[in-house]
Amino acid sequence: MGTLSQKGAEIAIRAQNLTKEFLLSHQPYSSLKGLLLAFLPKRMEHIVALKEVSFTIHQGETVGVIGRNGSGKSTLLGIIARVYRPTSGSITVNGRVAPLLELGAGFHPDLTGLENIYFNGVILGLTRRQVAERLPEIIAFAELEDYIDAPIRTYSSGMLMRLGFAIAAHVDADILLVDEVLAVGDARFQQKCYRKIHEFQEQGRTILFVSHDMEAVRQVAQRALWLDKGVLRADGEVNTVIEAYLQEAAATP
Amino acid sequence: MRELLLELWRYRELLWTLVIRELRVRYKNSFLGFFWSLLNPLVTVLVMTVVFKYVMGMRIDNYSAYILAAYLPWTFFQFALLDSSQTILVYMPVIKKIYFPRAVLPLATTFANLIHFLLAMGVLFVYLYLYVGTPLQWGLLLLPVVVLAQMLWVVGLSLIIACWNAFYEDVKYLVSVGLQLLFFLTPIIYFSEQLRATTLIPEAYREPIFWAYHLLNPMATLAMAYRKLILPPITLIYENPAMGEAMRFTDMPLPYWLLGVNLVLGLAVACIGLAYFHKKEWEFVERP
Repeated sequence: MGTLSQKGAEIAIRAQNLTKEFLLSHQPYSSLKGLLLAFLPKRMEHIVALKEVSFTIHQGETVGVIGRNGSGKSTLLGIIARVYRPTSGSITVNGRVAPLLELGAGFHPDLTGLENIYFNGVILGLTRRQVAERLPEIIAFAELEDYIDAPIRTYSSGMLMRLGFAIAAHVDADILLVDEVLAVGDARFQQKCYRKIHEFQEQGRTILFVSHDMEAVRQVAQRALWLDKGVLRADGEVNTVIEAYLQEAAATP
Repeated sequence: MRELLLELWRYRELLWTLVIRELRVRYKNSFLGFFWSLLNPLVTVLVMTVVFKYVMGMRIDNYSAYILAAYLPWTFFQFALLDSSQTILVYMPVIKKIYFPRAVLPLATTFANLIHFLLAMGVLFVYLYLYVGTPLQWGLLLLPVVVLAQMLWVVGLSLIIACWNAFYEDVKYLVSVGLQLLFFLTPIIYFSEQLRATTLIPEAYREPIFWAYHLLNPMATLAMAYRKLILPPITLIYENPAMGEAMRFTDMPLPYWLLGVNLVLGLAVACIGLAYFHKKEWEFVERP
């Protein structure tokens, strides 16, 4: 497997026997009561989100990640973005990682679009000065010139998505993690995003592209990883992997 | 510990952005916003002054200044701990997306509160030295040490509290009750000398209680220090009609060793807080 890895290019991401388990509680929220009742048998479930996943992605590759809901796609991106620590196995990431951040949730809704650009830019690794230099470009790309001083609570979901993509696209990350966010934008902006993604590909950056839209995956990626219940079912040329995935989807009732 | 601090230093731009953001939200982007935020402590102190001067019979010139000098640091302590306890949960959507040292979240809140506190102290100084005409104290030179000691305590405690609150969401209620108790165990609406002179405590216990009180409650030492460094010494006359006789206390000089002990303990608590938080920060996203 890993047929399409470009020989000679530097390794961007290497996963070796990557396993991630989560504890799932059936209690609605955690409280001190939970701590006090810790000696009682708990209704906890072990969820294996990723199981012995191994692959190597070289610099400059665009890899689609496909699979059903709950197959471990987001967990994999989370491990690459250093949000989760693997339960066992190892992950090596070379270069700066920029996940597309969804604006809105977790961001102060009273702050303006401009302030949110600063916050997101800095969190993705830029200095405030670098953000200031890129401001015009980011605002122009997001097409929010008239609304950039308005609080983001007044933004529509499409505007938030545009701003989020515009920021992540301008932080000079080596590895871009795109997780099913492009679906929100209108067709014209989606095309703009794909053009930007092609630009990244030409610049030799690495992109991990998670989507349920097989056409989109075909359009951007040369290679695909198929995750099924945490297991890497296939890793190879994008069309072959998508065919296998769709065939199984059609076969299972 | 050194690596931890270096990493936080690398993320100083993020910390600073969060601090600015927090102050903006608090002041609602307006200059007046800062003065609005002073309204609450001023009204509180006004009420305290009226009650203690005219109802309880405390006779001190400029009593409100003595309360403010201890109450403003107290509000810093209180709000820094309460505000930062929420930060991990509030930023959870971002935490689940990307790595950054999570400690910047409670730290940003404590720094924003520190800046707010320093501005409020600035207003107090203008009032005291320009309007009231309080003589300048040599002790003011030591004030940065007291602020540093308090900041160390605040940083350490808020990291620990933010961490616990991320796992058990009712921690913040316990903290707010604890802070209410601590308020009365801190010399803000009274003077710690009263503990030493009161006839309500048998004489043999007065001294041990007085020192234990200052050693066990970091804010007791700090409140006393702020008061004695900012304001001139006082003679207290306490006329409580119910008690029949007037009580007098002479002001004691600030015990510097107490401040030194406070600073060292504060440094230890800050280090413990950072290390503990760092050990736990991976578990925030995996909270079952």
